Amino acid sequence: MVGVIVDVGVIVGVDVSVAVAVGPWVPVGAGVGPRKGIPEHACNSIVINNARENLRISYLFQAIILFIPGTFYNNMTSIEVTNLQKTFQTKRKAAGLTGSIRSLFKPEYSLVEAVRKLSFQMEAGELLGFIGPNGAGKSTTIKMLTGILHPSAGAAKVLGFTPWVDRQKLAYQIGTVFGQRPQLWYHLPAIDTFILFGKIYELDDRETQKRIDYLTEAFEIKDLLDVPVRKLSLGQRMRCEVAASLLHRPKLLLLDEPSIGLDVVAKQHIRDAIKRMNQEEGVGVLLTSHDAGDLEALCKRVIIVNHGQIVYEDKVSNLKRKFLTTKMVEVRYAQEVSRDFSIHGVQILKVGHYGVKLKFDTAITPVDAVMSHLSGAGDIVDITISDPPLEEVIAKIYQEAGSQQQPGQDRNHG
Amino acid sequence: MKTFSKYWSIFQITLINSLAYPGELVGRSLMIIPFMWIFYQLWKVTFSAAGADVIGGLTLRDTLWYLMLAETIELGRPPIARTMSDNVKDGSIAYILNKPYDFLLYQFSTAMGETIFRAMLNAVFGGLTVWWLVGAPNHPEGILIALPAIFGAWVLHFCINAMIGLSAFVVEDVSAFTWIYQKLAFIFGGMLIPLDFYPKWLQSLAKFLPFSSAIYGPARLFISPTYTFFISVMSLQLTWVLGLCILLVIVYRRGLAQLTVNGG
Repeated sequence: MVGVIVDVGVIVGVDVSVAVAVGPWVPVGAGVGPRKGIPEHACNSIVINNARENLRISYLFQAIILFIPGTFYNNMTSIEVTNLQKTFQTKRKAAGLTGSIRSLFKPEYSLVEAVRKLSFQMEAGELLGFIGPNGAGKSTTIKMLTGILHPSAGAAKVLGFTPWVDRQKLAYQIGTVFGQRPQLWYHLPAIDTFILFGKIYELDDRETQKRIDYLTEAFEIKDLLDVPVRKLSLGQRMRCEVAASLLHRPKLLLLDEPSIGLDVVAKQHIRDAIKRMNQEEGVGVLLTSHDAGDLEALCKRVIIVNHGQIVYEDKVSNLKRKFLTTKMVEVRYAQEVSRDFSIHGVQILKVGHYGVKLKFDTAITPVDAVMSHLSGAGDIVDITISDPPLEEVIAKIYQEAGSQQQPGQDRNHG
Repeated sequence: MKTFSKYWSIFQITLINSLAYPGELVGRSLMIIPFMWIFYQLWKVTFSAAGADVIGGLTLRDTLWYLMLAETIELGRPPIARTMSDNVKDGSIAYILNKPYDFLLYQFSTAMGETIFRAMLNAVFGGLTVWWLVGAPNHPEGILIALPAIFGAWVLHFCINAMIGLSAFVVEDVSAFTWIYQKLAFIFGGMLIPLDFYPKWLQSLAKFLPFSSAIYGPARLFISPTYTFFISVMSLQLTWVLGLCILLVIVYRRGLAQLTVNGG
């Protein structure tokens, strides 16, 4: 991208999402947006030094675009869900043969509300985490957003389409990965599926090849492409799966449990690659998971669902600030510690010969006071301060939300 | 053009995929050898017991070549209905439905991809066996004339099976329906006994039903490849294909709204 005119084309045309994802006031100069190996702030400063003239014009231009009322509004929202509901009817059967026979003649059905009046919005290019325990309604929501399931009530717009009406048109614009279900042809090498997808999404052969080259580099799967998928490890296969779902440059990626069953390294691999695709191509990512690590590593904003309803919705940083106020501190001293070690407002977890382990809430007890107390107690050799894992925080939110629900509701669907 | 190449690629990848386990592919096709041998014994006894060289216009040789092609058509077919019902049961239909292609054409392309090699191997093994038992067919060139009808038979078979498969959207398990269809096809399709051996009234009924267009028509065309017969087989087949296609599309549209994707 060189020069203002090219950029103007990009902004006015298709990819408003990219510009917005980077931030509304990032200069539209040459090479804006984080490139590989250059952090975002460094990138901006290079631009500012090199092209001050361009900068002024581009600020002006952005101002004009942003103030044209309503014109670009729709392009900025990629998902809009209003009062979405899905109710499943499931047959109930008592245990044993008698129960089976009875259910033949007098079937009993129970209604399961998998999704209840769900409403939320997702901006273009956003990294949104959609988390909740098993059976919270995450997958059902994703399936409705891709148009596979028809909702019982409510409305949804994904990239301007109503998914269950324009499923095929929408399919060209979104990529999906269902972590528990492979989409690659199991007995064939991944490259075969990539080429097939190229055809299915109606790409030129040359374009497909270019895209495959790019994705194999981004996901580090060059050596895996020629191996039959069944011979890959789960982590390797998942990388291929996500790469395949990005082949047609979707604007929105829906990932349903992409890290399920993966080890720490494999998870990190996938997260890095997804992050990179978000930064380089501005693809929006809606990610369901019950792994808080995914959320912490990837998402800017989080929606926590339970029992088919939103129980919490905020920026991940706010979530941390609000709920991650507890600190765990482990201190080691040069001298022996007295047995009756205590600090006001601090919970002492363990007192050893040379060290103590304690926990306190920064909202109640100031960090300063605790630290000065600790250093006053002796010569500190080593200190470790840690946050409680995000899992705990989320579990707490689930519990709080769960206690407000009526008990005894079936949660078989998710 | 792009639309066509889309389905052509799906067909191709299924074709390659069916070669993933060549041993299994060949092993399965070898089954036709004992089948043909049993048919040979059965009909040899029947013909000699009747004391006739020709029954219902067919000689022993005609009968066996007819049965060879009928078996080839039948054994080459993949279990479309079961695949579709499995897709619904295990939820993999989610991946099929969220791609920009037509669900039914996708299923047809994969079905054809699975059919080709199986049918070819069946024809080779079955053909060699029959050749060894009763000698060369009377009209080897008949196979070329029968080809369009064989393809039509597969299309027709697809329509019926897809319809059964679609009922999985509602009832999930379809094995009962496929069982019934299979037995009807055995009897009215002329898979065990050429329809020509039936009493007149049953013949005319069976020949009209779609099952005969899916087996009897093309197999019979192979042993009597005449122009008029070709036209009559093809026109009946085409009528059934058209009618069932329309019905299939209607059923599909209705079924989709019913669909509940399992799991997750």
